Amino acid sequence: MIDEQMAVFIGSGLRLAVPIIFAATGEMLSERAGVLNLSLDGMMLMSAFTAALASWATGSPLIGVAAGVLVATAVAAVQAVLSVTLRANQLVVGIGFNILALGTTTFLYREIFGPLSRDPIPGFAQLNLPWLPRIPVIGPALANQTGLAYVSILMVVVTWLILKYTSFGLAVRAVGEDPRAADKAGISVAKTRYLGVLYAGILAGLGGAFMSVADSNTFTENMTKGAGYLAITAVIFGGWNPWYTLAACLLFGFATALQFLVPALQLDVPVALLLLLPYLLALVAIAGLVGKSRQPSALTIPFERGG
Amino acid sequence: MVMKNPKLARVAQGARLELVPLQVLVPVVSTIIALGIGLIIIAATGASVVEAIEAFWDGMAGSDFNIGASINRAISLALVGLGFIFASRANLTNVGGEGQIAMGGMFATAAALHGAGGLPLGLAFIVPLVAGTLAGAVWGGLAGVLKSARGTNEVISTLLLSFIALPLVYWSVESFHLLRKPISDVSSLPESAEIPDSTKLPLLFPDNGSPLHIGLLIAAIAVVVVWLVLKHSSLGLRLRAVGLNAMASRRAGMRTSFYVILAMTVSGGLGGLGGAIMILGQQFYLTSDFSSGYGFDGLVVGLLSRGSAVGVVIGALLFGFLRSGSINMEISAHVPSAVVLICQGLIVIIIAGSAILTNRKVTR
Repeated sequence: MIDEQMAVFIGSGLRLAVPIIFAATGEMLSERAGVLNLSLDGMMLMSAFTAALASWATGSPLIGVAAGVLVATAVAAVQAVLSVTLRANQLVVGIGFNILALGTTTFLYREIFGPLSRDPIPGFAQLNLPWLPRIPVIGPALANQTGLAYVSILMVVVTWLILKYTSFGLAVRAVGEDPRAADKAGISVAKTRYLGVLYAGILAGLGGAFMSVADSNTFTENMTKGAGYLAITAVIFGGWNPWYTLAACLLFGFATALQFLVPALQLDVPVALLLLLPYLLALVAIAGLVGKSRQPSALTIPFERGG
Repeated sequence: MVMKNPKLARVAQGARLELVPLQVLVPVVSTIIALGIGLIIIAATGASVVEAIEAFWDGMAGSDFNIGASINRAISLALVGLGFIFASRANLTNVGGEGQIAMGGMFATAAALHGAGGLPLGLAFIVPLVAGTLAGAVWGGLAGVLKSARGTNEVISTLLLSFIALPLVYWSVESFHLLRKPISDVSSLPESAEIPDSTKLPLLFPDNGSPLHIGLLIAAIAVVVVWLVLKHSSLGLRLRAVGLNAMASRRAGMRTSFYVILAMTVSGGLGGLGGAIMILGQQFYLTSDFSSGYGFDGLVVGLLSRGSAVGVVIGALLFGFLRSGSINMEISAHVPSAVVLICQGLIVIIIAGSAILTNRKVTR
């Protein structure tokens, strides 16, 4: 009985962590290049809605994911123009996009889905790998995941490889630490930062699409509930390192999943307090740790050539 | 970092010239563009634009009651907006208005329900107002403490504090030992009991049915005080100095962490007062989502104002009336009120994006 509940808890913790893993991994690369996307939550929300809409319209969750990623990347492109070319305040622009995304998705949801919102949309099936459930507790938890969940871990590996072993990764790190020196060395600061933001957009799009077509098979208004902010905090908590960031995302996922486990175990803890737990953890994490790990020197600082 | 920016010298010199045309032009033009796009969206839904605008106008100003309700809404928005510009004078961006409103409303309700009701001489509503203000001040001040002690970015911390405050309000209204009203009532919704009549804010025009209350006077006083402090006091100058160059200010003998915490505490306190006025002035009982949307509205008001207290008043009235209108538009003309969120998002993005034109950073 306890084993079964633990398996459900681990499974839902992982599932709740996946969108944050996607978003945080992309955001980490963008921040290493010096651009903070507070709009991450908005990108995820736009993608979740678009993916639900496209999957519902075409019957293919794969097309849904593609459409979601496309829209999130488009948002990222506009954000890049504002943050990099127009040197706007990255934090304020991000808040603006989040308000816009909340308004747009809520509006379109009521206009398009309003009367149909009870129907589930086509989503991905769980993989059900045959050999996995034989492992106790963790096995069933891992087996009950969609393919997209495994892709999130793959993207962590890919991002780590990009940062560590490619010339683009080197450029990203250089631009985030000392854009003037990078510029003198012939690296295009603007181009590197654009690519960084777009990369964050693609991954935030995957994370948002996962929420609607892989996790819940539906869209609800404001369904990200601040997952984008948790992802940004996970990057800070993870010290801009892909593996520590992954660990922080898992922590937030499990903290969120506690709101299902605790009532199931019939423990007398108010659900409301469990709802705020991930955000409290996030606050404690950045308050306690940000002083010790060093952020990219040029983070949120726009670059102007010849200035 | 800030020191290296060669523009800052120019900005500092030009700081006294508040009415440079672009400073006014940009917010006005971006508001007009955003509202225009809002109208196009309404037209695109197939709803009658005339009908939508009629419903909108009716909700905003169709009766004494609606005008009073719109201004009441503007009062709380103005207080949050004032808080935003107070913090931004010290180069701090307080985006946690919603959490500060929530804490203010919750503690004002608690004070009104538990003890303040029987107090004489207007203390019945003054004590809850103070309680709400203090709660908001603590919530904002917490971000200031984290900023000065740990270097935690206040944008992230105030956002997270909002996500923590909202479940706290939910907890308080769903727990009988906290603020939830006894189940003996007809309804058993998770909300507080109605506050005693003595704790409700006195109405300004009790005879004509307008809900307009003395919060208007409180907000007017706050506008004047914030304007005086920011523009004509040494405290305002010190906040500005700390914001422009913390290191130089420290060398000049100023305790920068004191000013950071002070700025965030006052900023949060104004938001908390706004939340308290919402409960004591018009809503009269606490629900878990009473603050929904007000934080964003107040933030946008603060951004639009470009640091001017007069700008806050104009922006607060604009959004107070816009909100009331959009709610009625959703009810009568079936146009989702989320259209206002779209307009707000556009305004923030356009203003932030055109900062390069005005050659002056909005908040940093």
